[in-house]
Amino acid sequence: MVKENVFETDVLVIGGGMSGLFAAIKAREQGVNVTLVDKGYAGKAGSSPYAFFFAVFNPSWGHRMDDWMKHVNTIGEYVNHREWTEILFKDSYDRYNDLLAYGVQVQKDEKGEIKISRFPGIDTESVQLEKRVFGQVIRKQAVKQGVKIFDRVMLLDLLKQDGRIAGAIGIAVDSYELYIFKAKATVMCSGCASYRPDGWPVSELTADGEVMAYQAGAEITGKEWNEMKSTSADYPAVTMGMSLWMKPPVDMPLDLGPPQVQVIKGFNVDGQELPGLAGSNFMELEFEAHAGRAPVFGSFEGEKGPRRVGGAATGLSVHGSDGIWPVDTRGTTQLPGLFAAGDACATMMCGAVYPGVGYGLTGAAVTGTRAGLAAVEYARNAGKAEVNTADLARLRAAILAPTERKGGFSPRWVTQVLRNTMIPYFITYIKKEDRMKAALTIIEFLRDHMVPKLYARDPHELRLAHETRNIVHTAESKMKASLFRTESRGTHYREDYPRRDDPNWLAWVTLKAENGEMKAYKKPVPKEWWPDLSRSYKERYPNPFPGE
Amino acid sequence: MAIEKIDTELCNGCGICVNSCSMDVIRMDKKNKKAVIQYPEDCMLCGWCVVDCPQNAIYVSPYKSSPLIVSWG
Repeated sequence: MVKENVFETDVLVIGGGMSGLFAAIKAREQGVNVTLVDKGYAGKAGSSPYAFFFAVFNPSWGHRMDDWMKHVNTIGEYVNHREWTEILFKDSYDRYNDLLAYGVQVQKDEKGEIKISRFPGIDTESVQLEKRVFGQVIRKQAVKQGVKIFDRVMLLDLLKQDGRIAGAIGIAVDSYELYIFKAKATVMCSGCASYRPDGWPVSELTADGEVMAYQAGAEITGKEWNEMKSTSADYPAVTMGMSLWMKPPVDMPLDLGPPQVQVIKGFNVDGQELPGLAGSNFMELEFEAHAGRAPVFGSFEGEKGPRRVGGAATGLSVHGSDGIWPVDTRGTTQLPGLFAAGDACATMMCGAVYPGVGYGLTGAAVTGTRAGLAAVEYARNAGKAEVNTADLARLRAAILAPTERKGGFSPRWVTQVLRNTMIPYFITYIKKEDRMKAALTIIEFLRDHMVPKLYARDPHELRLAHETRNIVHTAESKMKASLFRTESRGTHYREDYPRRDDPNWLAWVTLKAENGEMKAYKKPVPKEWWPDLSRSYKERYPNPFPGE
Repeated sequence: MAIEKIDTELCNGCGICVNSCSMDVIRMDKKNKKAVIQYPEDCMLCGWCVVDCPQNAIYVSPYKSSPLIVSWG
C-alpha cells in the first residue's frame, strides 16, 4: 500500500525557481496559507540557478521606455505581447528592490557602484545578481514569511472540482508516496520544456506544468520558437555554454567564479566572420551546419577559439514565449483557479527571438508576483477545495501504473529515442514539412505505443516515466505548431517557407485538445501592434535569413 | 562519466549535495551516513554538487557518454 499524504492550502505554488518563490512570497504577504512544491529543492532547482542577469528598467538611470519597447518589438519580430513587454520593464525596478530587501547581493564595480551591463546591439540593460546564491536568499525569505515548502515532490496532475482547478496530485521522487494538495487557487511556476538534452542543464525541465494544464483543458502556445544555445564541441555535456557570441562565464572544468561575460566573434570553417549579437537571430550555427560549413569557432581576443556546436538546449523555447496561454496580464489562465508565471506562462513578453539579456529572470519575478496576487484574490472568493473520490482513484491508478508493469519500455530508453529523433538540427531548427512529418510519425508512435508501456522499478524511475511522457508531449506540440506556421520568423525557420509572411502570420499559434486530438489554432496579433507594412521588408526585419 | 566519485573519507554526511542535485542522482546512505552516487546516468553535469560540497569531496568529470541505442530497452 502506497502511503498517501493529503494537505490543504489556500494557494498552491508548483515550482520553486524565481517565479515560484516570488508567487509564494507575494501571496503569503497577503495573509493566506501558501504551500510551495518542487521536484528538486526550491531555490536550487529549475533554470533560475543558471541565470544571473536581471533586466532593470529605471528612468533615473537614463532609460526610455520607447527605446526599450522598440528594441523588443523589432528583435522579437512583432509577435511579442506588447502589454506584457511593457509590464516586464515597468515592474522590474520594484522586483529589483524586493530582491535587495530580501538580502540578494548585486555585483558592483571597482568604485562600489552597481554594475549595469549593456551588450552590443541590445538597447536594454541589466544588473547581475550574486550567482546561484540568490535562490537560497529568496527561499529564506519565503520560509521567514511562513511559506510551507515541500521539496522532492513532483506534481503530475491537476485536480478538478466543478470545472475549477482545486489543487494537484503527485509523487515523492525518492519513496513510494503520493501527495495530494487541495488548494483554493494554484499557481503553475514549473518552468519550461526541453527534450532533456545533455548539452545544457535542462534535464529537469520536462514541460510538467504545460502538460498538466493542457490535459486539464488549457490552451498552450509558442511551441514553434527555439532557444538557441550552443556548447563546446569538445565537452558538449558541460554546461554554461551560452550563445556563440558570449564567452561563457564558466570555463572547464566547473570553475564557478564570479560571472564575467565577454562578447566574442564567431567564424565558420572558411574563416568567414559571422554576424554578431546585433544582426543575428542566433541561428548561425544551424545555418552554417546546413550549408556544410560547420564547425563554427568562437574567437576570444583574436585567437581561434574552441569549436562550438548548437542544439545544446533542444526543446526550449524563448523565455516566456511558450507554455500556458494567459487570458490577462495577471497570469490568469483559461482554467478557473489556475494561474501561471515564469517560463510556464506564455506571456509572449519576448516574441520570436530572445531579444536581450536578463529578461528571463526579471520576467519570472514580475509574473510570479502578479500571478501570486491574482491567486490570492481568487482564493479569497473560492470555497473549500474538495475532490471527487472517483477522480482521485483514477488519477492514483494512472500515476502508479508504471510500477505495476512487469515489462515494457524503460523511461531512459524512450527518452534516448526521442532525443535522437528531435535533436538533429534539421528537425528542430532547420525545419521542413517532410522531415517534421517524419519526426511526428515517430513521436506519435512513442506516444501511443511506448508511453503507455513505460515501466518503473523504483520511485526514481517513476519520476522518469512521467517526465518521459511529458517530453514526448512537448515534442508533439513543437512539431504540430511548427508545421502549422507556414512561414519563417525569428527562431522558427522553415526551408519550405523561408521568409516572414506579413500580415498572414502576425499571429500566435495555440494548441488545444479536441476530442483527444491536438489541434492548432491561429490567434491574430492586434493590428495596432503590427509593423508599418509600408516600410520595406528589410527595414521591418533587420536580421536576414539565409538568401535574403 | 559525469559524476564519478564522492570521497567517503572526506564526506561528512551533511546531505547538502542531495538537495543540490535536481536530478536525484545523489542519495544518503542511511546506514553509513555518507552521500552515495545512486543514478549516475541521470547526471546533467551542472556541477552544483561540487560547488556546494563544503568538504570538496565530489568529483564530476567533464565527459558524459550516453549508452548505445539498442533495438529496445
